[in-house]
Amino acid sequence: MANDSTATSHPKYHLHHFVDAEQQFDSAKMGMWVFLVTEILFFGGLFAAYIVYRAWYPDLFTEASTELNTLLGTINTIVLIGSSLTVAMAIRAAQLNKTKQIAINLGITILLACAFMVIKYFEWTHKFHLGIFPGEFYTYEGIAHPKASVFFSIYYLMTGLHGIHVIIGIGLMTWLLIKALKGEFGSQYYTPVEITGLYWHLVDIIWIFLFPLFYLIE
Amino acid sequence: MTGHHISTYKTLLGVGGALLILTLLTVGVRYLHLPHPWAIIVAMGIAIFKASLVALFFMNLWWDKRFNTMLLLSSLVFFGLLVGFTLLDTLYRPSIIPGF
Repeated sequence: MANDSTATSHPKYHLHHFVDAEQQFDSAKMGMWVFLVTEILFFGGLFAAYIVYRAWYPDLFTEASTELNTLLGTINTIVLIGSSLTVAMAIRAAQLNKTKQIAINLGITILLACAFMVIKYFEWTHKFHLGIFPGEFYTYEGIAHPKASVFFSIYYLMTGLHGIHVIIGIGLMTWLLIKALKGEFGSQYYTPVEITGLYWHLVDIIWIFLFPLFYLIE
Repeated sequence: MTGHHISTYKTLLGVGGALLILTLLTVGVRYLHLPHPWAIIVAMGIAIFKASLVALFFMNLWWDKRFNTMLLLSSLVFFGLLVGFTLLDTLYRPSIIPGF
């Protein structure tokens, strides 16, 4: 098979160093999963910090989490779940050659991701207004616990790193949307939609854990 | 390209609906004020179940090559090692270092 690759015509997305488009697709997907492993361990360091500090100061976490708005957190969780659903819908549309639906679903995903960041913006600016900043810049006096700033340092680091991932996701989805509008995706080739989808679902999974760990402590 | 799993609308909407209900459930459970160890156990149990639904049906691991599932699980094993060995130190200090 490998020797006659120059003789046969093959589609432009099929790179010559892969046996066929199927192997190319599987390799791209596996590569993305390896990247997601590094992402999990990247966030893992912060989750470890959370666990260490919560074990040291359990009362601090119960007390400080009351400053977080459960309603906004719940809305954001639902928004992200919805965006995961529309990404999965976009992949299905690509598999079925429904080009218009790919673009519609990607468009809704971008809007939901932006809605998530807008809500996050309001949550953060409200805290800044109260003087709840990370680390030594913390000036809020509404929480009696002497280590109150520690909780919010971890909160800002974890939701901030997650927010950066959402912003990168918006960029990737916009790139996909432009390609989708040019009609570049179909059942024969949709690898970028598939692997960006995997990234987006991981961002959703990270939030699924951040939400109860910060907003639902009792 | 043959053999790619195409999820039905029923599966996708079913998983999305389940995630929505589980989100409302985990918020609702908070107001039950469960006694100490149970609140975090139930909250993390629901979160792990939700994450599994996303991984299996949105990320397609259910139908995918098992190798990708192994990659995901290996990351969790190494995360466990990170947390486990860190706690062996931090949980057994005679006193917390004041600057921490």
